[in-house]
Amino acid sequence: MAWDISRRVFLRGAGLAAVGVGFHPSSLLVRAAEAATAGSRVLVQVFLRGGCDGLNLCVPFGDSEYYDLRGAIAIGRGEAVSLDGHFGLHPALAPLKSLYDDGRLALLPAVGSYALSRSHFDAQDFMESGTPGDKSTGTGWLERSISKVPGNAVTEGVAFSAQLPRSFLGPEPVLVAQALSSFDLRARGWRAEAETLLRAMYDARDDVLGQAGRETFAAMNVLLRTPEIMAPPAGGAVYPNAAIGSGLRQAAQIIKAGIGTRAIFVNVPGSFDTHANQLPANSLEFTRLADALAAFARDLGGLMDDVALMVTTEFGRVAFVNGSAGTDHGSAHCMILMGGRVRGGRVYGSWPGLGRSQLYQERDVAVTTDFRDVFAELARAQLGIDGSSLFPGYTPGPGPGIFG
Amino acid sequence: MSVGVEVGPRVAVHLLNRIGYGPRPGDVERILGMGLERYIQGQLDAPADPELDSRLRGLITLDYPISQVLTLYNADQRSIGVILDELYSAKVIRAVHAQNQLQEVLVDFWFNHFNVYVQDGFARFSTAAYEREAIRPHALGRFRDLLGATAAHPAMLFFLDNYLSRATITVGGRVVRGLNENYGRELLELHTVGVDAGYTQDHVIDAARCFTGWGIDNLSASGRFMYRPQLHDTGAKGVFGLNLPAGGGKDDGDKLLDYLASHPKTAAFIAKKLAQRFVSDDPPARVVDRAAAAFESSGGDIREVMRAILGSADFWAEAFGPGKPRTPLEFTASALRAADAQVSNGRAVVAYLQNMGMPLYSCVPPTGYSNRGADWINPSSQLYRMNFGLDLAAGAIAGVSADARAMVRRMGGDSEDPRSVASTISAEIFGKGLSPSTLAAASRVAPGGPMSVAARAAGVCLASREMQAR
Repeated sequence: MAWDISRRVFLRGAGLAAVGVGFHPSSLLVRAAEAATAGSRVLVQVFLRGGCDGLNLCVPFGDSEYYDLRGAIAIGRGEAVSLDGHFGLHPALAPLKSLYDDGRLALLPAVGSYALSRSHFDAQDFMESGTPGDKSTGTGWLERSISKVPGNAVTEGVAFSAQLPRSFLGPEPVLVAQALSSFDLRARGWRAEAETLLRAMYDARDDVLGQAGRETFAAMNVLLRTPEIMAPPAGGAVYPNAAIGSGLRQAAQIIKAGIGTRAIFVNVPGSFDTHANQLPANSLEFTRLADALAAFARDLGGLMDDVALMVTTEFGRVAFVNGSAGTDHGSAHCMILMGGRVRGGRVYGSWPGLGRSQLYQERDVAVTTDFRDVFAELARAQLGIDGSSLFPGYTPGPGPGIFG
Repeated sequence: MSVGVEVGPRVAVHLLNRIGYGPRPGDVERILGMGLERYIQGQLDAPADPELDSRLRGLITLDYPISQVLTLYNADQRSIGVILDELYSAKVIRAVHAQNQLQEVLVDFWFNHFNVYVQDGFARFSTAAYEREAIRPHALGRFRDLLGATAAHPAMLFFLDNYLSRATITVGGRVVRGLNENYGRELLELHTVGVDAGYTQDHVIDAARCFTGWGIDNLSASGRFMYRPQLHDTGAKGVFGLNLPAGGGKDDGDKLLDYLASHPKTAAFIAKKLAQRFVSDDPPARVVDRAAAAFESSGGDIREVMRAILGSADFWAEAFGPGKPRTPLEFTASALRAADAQVSNGRAVVAYLQNMGMPLYSCVPPTGYSNRGADWINPSSQLYRMNFGLDLAAGAIAGVSADARAMVRRMGGDSEDPRSVASTISAEIFGKGLSPSTLAAASRVAPGGPMSVAARAAGVCLASREMQAR
């Protein structure tokens, strides 16, 4: 899909008209022009917390063992939305099929860490630091990535999360927000005075809290100066009312406003830790996930050309069903990759199979792609950085070749 | 116990900040008058607190047993909203008004250590009972009792799915899997020896096997613990050095809890986490070792572990450092106390906590909220904290009464002079520790305007960097 600046400006204008926000048109054009350079690509990481099951997300219905292992929680051959005759999407993910068919969405099963941890906390920490097995890494993989990109505006990296995600840990300033719409001081009747006094106070401090205070005011400034950030979803996109919906809706707002953001992290707490009664939890969460991703693509329209989005989780789950119609902590998971920069319409990676001897420790889907190879490839494609030094102690392989 | 540093307002503030939710105006003078050691002893004894009881009297559902909550819910589903509101409100009121501040801090600490997510199905009906029955009575008691109470509580049995776990059996040559590993894993990883202890996946499985049959009798009526022997895996088990012969029953679980509670790795893990709460994000090995030794020599007596931490030079040295960043709960409770606020209903405060990323009883993963202060610092939380401080000083938080002007006057300051407002707050709340830049900013509040000078100057102090650390 070709880059179309007129469409981009039109989309912005349409959004603004809809909310009636006044702005100086030249600022918009300037931003659009800036965004049209190679430095306008955006990387989006969606993190599903809890260990999302890969086998029920991208169902290997072509493996007969799948049905023996999963029993009552297996997704039927006829229910899965077939992708390639072997794998099929969970039925709740059906809204993603057209994106797959359009070549804008890909699946990567059997991805994960060879240095396995079945602890939620450790596995998340290792994935976010990009250093499995080493807890002492003081920075996150996204922080290291954006530190290699010129500029250090607070909005270069944005996280929709209640807390700074480990992925962004480090000296680079990052905007962390749950809601962009309320990002302002609430000092009724004395706002200007309050801002002056509080700013002076935080400017004078050079410690962690002082820095966070300064970043708060810097972010507030950018957001207040850019009212088009508050434009409603375009193209009739409707986001689900859930963390993933509000996260991706706001990610799209940031991207559409063109404020120079290069990396966005969307934190998704949810019912992914499916130790019991997995089927209803999968249906609920996968419906939200699919609806949010589809809305994101629709909302961004042509801007999707510059975006690559990756859905990750800390680990997958055991191949066999446990005693509670659920699954315990396992190894490999399945990534979803989406965007104009993704060579979609394919299931990537090497599938290890589900035979007893093929399972890791006779229980989990084995890892065949190191997650860092994908991260490095994504960072190279979207941020133009050399991924070879992105992970202390690890030189990424060539990667599965997902990103164009 | 010897404090080991020169005692003054700064040190008193440090103690109040660390073992409680910070000073209220007048507290520093009061505890300096009685002596810090006597104050600490009182906190460890945690006697009755009739004043707090009377504040909580209106929250009538707080003491309802699970069965009564279920009865109400079955009659009218809306009742659970009221019941949870009361639970949340009580947490705020206790943090702000309890005399036994250390007890409230430890109830919060242990609840978070043995975390249960309140919105998870049956946990809605049992979380209040869980805190009341399993956590609160043992917060300053013995770790083994605390561990046992959580292991057998229906809220935990539900949250970590153990109530569903049963022996894996072979029927006609076919394996019927019954085990659920969730509790077995988190028991080792989060509750006792810690993730780096060196246990294996096989140990996780056998830990889970020890608890097969530990369940709940009826999720929609009585909601009581029930052991079902027919579901128990009676095979031999080996967990991290403990070998249990075949033929065991419910006592397999009890024996494993005995073993884990007295394991040196548990002592070290708990000591580190407590030192992280009370001393610093990365506590010196010396204080951790001291606390672990107290844990081991006292048989896991939490009071003795606290005594060891509070008796360490590392604890008191922190009085003169930059402080540990506050979690949202610590920040809101401390700001409310600093403003001398009266909380009659915590609902509005709960909404602020949600925005700051720390909704009460609502941490989804079993890991609990981060115990590291630094993890809570980011532009978003910073903004919500500033706004909370500004709203509080303005008297704009529902269910909370705070009057900056009256507070400053009560403490002998001049409420119309911003400099006096700031120095009064600095003396009462910060041990004169507000920085020159904060004092200067608060002092620059202009006369006149829509809101009182005292409210605006106090707002600047409550939104300050110093308020965000303890």
